[in-house]
Amino acid sequence: MTTHSPDADDPIVVEGLAKTYQVTDREGGFGAAVRSFVKRKYKDVKAVQNVSFRIGQGEIVGFLGPNGAGKTTTLKMLSGLLHPTGGKAIVLGHTPWNREAGFLSAMTLVMGQRNRLSWDIPAADSFLLNQAIYRISDADYKSVFGELNELLDLKDIMRKPVRQLSLGERMKCELAAALLHRPKVLFLDEPTIGLDVGAQVRIRAFLKEYNRRSGATILLTSHYMADVTALCERIIIIHHGQLKYDGGLGDLSRRIAPYKIIGVAVENCEACDLSAYGQAVPNPNEDGKQYIQVAASEVSAVTARLLAENEIQDLTITDPPIEDIIERAFHE
Amino acid sequence: MLNIFKRFWQVNWAEQWQYRANLFMYLAYWLVSPIVYLSVWTTIANAQGGVNGMSASDFAAYYLVLLPVDIATAAITIHLFASKIQDGTLSNFLVQPVHPVLVNTLVTTISFKVLQLIIFVPIWIGLFLLFRPPLTITFESALLAIPALILGFMLNFLVDSTITLIAFWTTRVWSIHQLYWAIGAMLGGSFVPLSLLPGVIQSVARFSPMQLWLYFPIQLILNKQTPADMALNFGLQVFWLVIMFVIFRATWTAGLKKYSAVGA
Repeated sequence: MTTHSPDADDPIVVEGLAKTYQVTDREGGFGAAVRSFVKRKYKDVKAVQNVSFRIGQGEIVGFLGPNGAGKTTTLKMLSGLLHPTGGKAIVLGHTPWNREAGFLSAMTLVMGQRNRLSWDIPAADSFLLNQAIYRISDADYKSVFGELNELLDLKDIMRKPVRQLSLGERMKCELAAALLHRPKVLFLDEPTIGLDVGAQVRIRAFLKEYNRRSGATILLTSHYMADVTALCERIIIIHHGQLKYDGGLGDLSRRIAPYKIIGVAVENCEACDLSAYGQAVPNPNEDGKQYIQVAASEVSAVTARLLAENEIQDLTITDPPIEDIIERAFHE
Repeated sequence: MLNIFKRFWQVNWAEQWQYRANLFMYLAYWLVSPIVYLSVWTTIANAQGGVNGMSASDFAAYYLVLLPVDIATAAITIHLFASKIQDGTLSNFLVQPVHPVLVNTLVTTISFKVLQLIIFVPIWIGLFLLFRPPLTITFESALLAIPALILGFMLNFLVDSTITLIAFWTTRVWSIHQLYWAIGAMLGGSFVPLSLLPGVIQSVARFSPMQLWLYFPIQLILNKQTPADMALNFGLQVFWLVIMFVIFRATWTAGLKKYSAVGA
């Protein structure tokens, strides 16, 4: 497992962070409701348990896990919305849940499923409000807006009331509004959720370029593996509130799935028996090829045998799909 | 800070013009009860030749002054903020470096109030022509009313906001607020001028914060406060303002802790 090597200037430092929610626990029905009124039973839900990691300046880290794994809870603790029940976190030198103005002015939280812009007025008005809230000088505002406009092409959409924008247009405005104060740390919770493929690609390209230009540190959650492969060299996997993996994406596939997928098109044979070479796997591309799974260490030997013993028209060797790898990592 | 207020004001103004119908409905809602009380009391006074020394035109003067005072000092935090706590949109405001209540809600309230007062002017002129009460306003009483209205509004805002913060602990904050509103209408002088209340209730009302944003400014404008009354009421306004600010801050801190414990 490779992790980021500690540095005193790391903008995000998390040590033993934990969050336990207390929820009321009762069965359905009238009797249970009355019993609960007299004596309420509580159940502890451990949303995050003893999670530690450090993120270095300028890194983009993918924070992955199935629904309910504790990702959003962790992001909310790191952005100061939740008090943890244990452990500590330092973001840009501040304890997030103290919500000091210096901290709030230097970070941003974007939640793809939540609307922060005012619904009834054009985004341009909300931008000006943010300029005042974050005390951005006119000169700085002009320069940062020019930059965001260049990357996101905002000019035509920011004059329409937000409720009349498409989801993709709205997300562009949400991101721009969240970045006007040039935050040094970005917490992005599902920033591309619900967007069509084209809009997803544009948001990804924007985030990558923004990170390159500003050197901002980004921690993002997403259920779209394309977001992760396009943006993150490093991922952190969390499941049932516990840290499962922290390291490079490539290392994970080598560790979790030390096998490759070989696709072959054999002359005059669309469904030959290739079980002697490896385990058959479903064809992901519907391209007329047959696919087998082969241990990484045996790939060259198996390929040589395939070529020697069959009339091969086409042959490809690929890594297993990232979704499969992540899914395996969750349950390992 | 002034710049933040200015921008919030601009945005709120733009938002509220988007909802012009809402603005008129709210104003109508605000005016209905006092106009009903005005009609009832003037009718009774006319029939009986006065109530406890107040003539029909005294009632008309009282309620015609009450209407703008009520708009000027009204607090609407419950309408603006309770749902934000309940549905979690408060989180959007908590990640920004300004206070969601003391900046955001406060400016929204003031801009809404100013718009309402602008729309209210022609309505007030119409009511004045209808009742033609003898208004005993002087330049001095109008001038003194300004600090009384500002302090009264701030006090009402803090009380209303503190009650709204109960939403951190219960989803039934609206019924608690309704109860508070009814008590406030009685102790503030909205149902009936305080001088007509039974002795014990009148004594409670005199020292309650509610009359400080309604009955006191009305009497001040109508030039019916002795210098001693005035000194006492201004003193009470400052006293309650300090107390309520401390209670508001404590409730806010405790509420945020609760909010961030259960999952913002």
